[in-house]
Amino acid sequence: MPTLDPALLHSLRTQLQALQPRARHGVLAFGDARVDACFPAGGLPLGGLHEVAADGVEAETGAAGAGFIACLLARLPGQLVWIAPQPDLYPPGLPAFGLDPSRLVLVQTRTDEETLAAMETVLREGAAAVVAEAGRLGRIPSRRLQLACLKRGSTGFVLRRWPYGRKTTPEDTASMTRWRVGSAPSAAVLREPGAPRWRVELEYARGGLEGAWIMEMEIFPNATHPLRVVAELADAAAAPAFRRHAG
Amino acid sequence: MQRILSVWLPSWPTLRLRRLSAVTPDRPLATVETVRGLRRLAAVCPRAEAEGLSAGQALTEARAICPSLEVVDDDPEADRAALASLATWCERYTPLVASDPPDGIFLDITGCAHLFAHPSPRPSPARGEGEEALAADLLSRLERSALPCRIAIAGTPGAAWALARSATARGTCTILPSGQEKEALSVLPVALLRLEARTVASLRRVGLKSIGELARQPRSEITGRFGPVPMLRLDQAYGTAAEAIAWPRPPAPWGERLAFPEPIGTPEDLSLALAHLAQRLCTRLEAAERGGHRFTATFFRVDDQRPAIAIATARPVRDATYITKLLKEKLEKIDPGFGIDAIVLEAEETAPFALPQRALSEIGAPLQPDLAAAIDALANRLGPARLWRAAPQESHVPERSIRRVPPLAPCPAWQVDPSVERPLRLLHRPEPIEATAPVPDDPPILFRWRGALHRVRAASGPERIAAEWWRRTPDAGRPESDQIRDYYRVEDTDGARFWIFRAGLAGTPRWFLHGLFA
Repeated sequence: MPTLDPALLHSLRTQLQALQPRARHGVLAFGDARVDACFPAGGLPLGGLHEVAADGVEAETGAAGAGFIACLLARLPGQLVWIAPQPDLYPPGLPAFGLDPSRLVLVQTRTDEETLAAMETVLREGAAAVVAEAGRLGRIPSRRLQLACLKRGSTGFVLRRWPYGRKTTPEDTASMTRWRVGSAPSAAVLREPGAPRWRVELEYARGGLEGAWIMEMEIFPNATHPLRVVAELADAAAAPAFRRHAG
Repeated sequence: MQRILSVWLPSWPTLRLRRLSAVTPDRPLATVETVRGLRRLAAVCPRAEAEGLSAGQALTEARAICPSLEVVDDDPEADRAALASLATWCERYTPLVASDPPDGIFLDITGCAHLFAHPSPRPSPARGEGEEALAADLLSRLERSALPCRIAIAGTPGAAWALARSATARGTCTILPSGQEKEALSVLPVALLRLEARTVASLRRVGLKSIGELARQPRSEITGRFGPVPMLRLDQAYGTAAEAIAWPRPPAPWGERLAFPEPIGTPEDLSLALAHLAQRLCTRLEAAERGGHRFTATFFRVDDQRPAIAIATARPVRDATYITKLLKEKLEKIDPGFGIDAIVLEAEETAPFALPQRALSEIGAPLQPDLAAAIDALANRLGPARLWRAAPQESHVPERSIRRVPPLAPCPAWQVDPSVERPLRLLHRPEPIEATAPVPDDPPILFRWRGALHRVRAASGPERIAAEWWRRTPDAGRPESDQIRDYYRVEDTDGARFWIFRAGLAGTPRWFLHGLFA
């Protein structure tokens, strides 16, 4: 077995890193090597579009996905905008995720098209992050939104949500990452619900790897990383549903 | 010095009917009103007048005199509305126009007349010049629209009103220089003082037939006998007492107007004109260190329609490009029709606006991106009520514990109580669920929501929330869930967390689902 020259290895690594897409606007690290290793830049790249979807009743209510996004938003400084056709986001629930509700501008739209158009407008003006709740997101709209993100380095989250229970059809989108978030049973103590746990699946990360984890959120967090990986799921066995739709 | 133009449209109701082509063109026409069961003529057209008819005559008598008379029921509301729209048309001459029911219009042409003067070699036209041209233009335009009228221009509304209606005036247009009201009016009859018919009759009974005679009487005697109105009207006509006319559109001091020699209609032309107007308006605003909150662009179409677009901004602005951009977004709603004569851009609300000074230490630092532009764009596209920031409100009832504040208004801080957990999603109204609880006071072990069965794995609660006592009404029609609720946080076997409550203390408990935790 030939021995590898450490210097050669190092130069190869640097070359590889130079080839990988760089995060121009910084990253948001999860603080866990198992998650951060999935992204080429070592964390969720900012200044890009991210998709969060859900299955079953979660696709209707969008609760776990909203919580996951709120966790990430809490760590982004600056102005935040949340655009949704249904005004059912309840601001008093946000401090539990470490997010101050007064940072958020809420916008109510009528249709998915209007939601995405409003999102593009705000992204181009340079809000720190914009969340849009929309069901359909085509290839061209997602491309436009991704370009709008790049203009000022804003981060966009599209929470895929069908309030009237439509079926998810696989779509080809230009997002930097695609997530699937659902709730998972918490560590209940004496029939009292524990801290919320989510089953978080990273279906796609541009230039990165896929992954699936059970994450627990710290309520009223004061740590830097409120999301803690409780268990790593074996991809294929744990997530047959998303495998079908992936791509 | 004020200059008022009064237009008198004799027998306006018949003119209106003739313009509507609702009547036979060459038959005498009159409108009829019913006074105490008696049908009387209200307005008669000039042709009927030539036949010897007059307003106030009984209809039977009129029919006997002129059998070919065409009769229409009078409609004072429609007359008034038509007069108001004619007054709006008159805004081409001056922004201050008020209709003067039943048959007149007032125009304040102070400072407007010279715009209609024929080009003269003198650099500054003398005062009064152009009034003839303005009046002639107005007369000829109304004449062409089959609206014969009489016009008078004077220094006071009262004098103009009287001169327009005076039978002794020569021609259809009288122009009285300011300060000569006393001489001109003294020979006119007292009926031209805008007095009630009863007052006029009693003044004539005591021999006071002309305005001059009335003016010579001791004031106290006239006031004592006829009330304060005759002397007030006299003073107003002479200009010794002030008179206010209620202009329907008070002048906006921040307005710019662009009139076109030829009507325009293409979107490119309109947006160019808007950009030009915005530039002019912003230059003025900048000189005054002010910014506008609300802007309205009004398009004067050749067919008298006046479509308008309005925009509002969260902060005062005076950036012409920005205002033009917001206006252009709504330009597609404007139908130019046969063309647009003029555009007026007004800043309806302005506020002091000085550029903030940056501290020396901040110079060179990157500017914080400001969401105001995006918020304005969305507010004008979606409507201002669709953007808000949530502010806390002192109430324990979940629906009432937030209130909406404008997105750029200062938002009060949120007090966070870690012992109280609130859901991330709150349903618009609580949805009834079928729940099975082993004991009435326990959380359910099983519930069905939107057709799906959820087995409860863990639960915490109850948290009792009652409506404030001053809101509780003993109204049987109100749902019980408005009164007292016991909230539970439950987690089903899949890990989904719900906020459910039991309503009512007595009788069968009813369960509702109100929110979802993440």
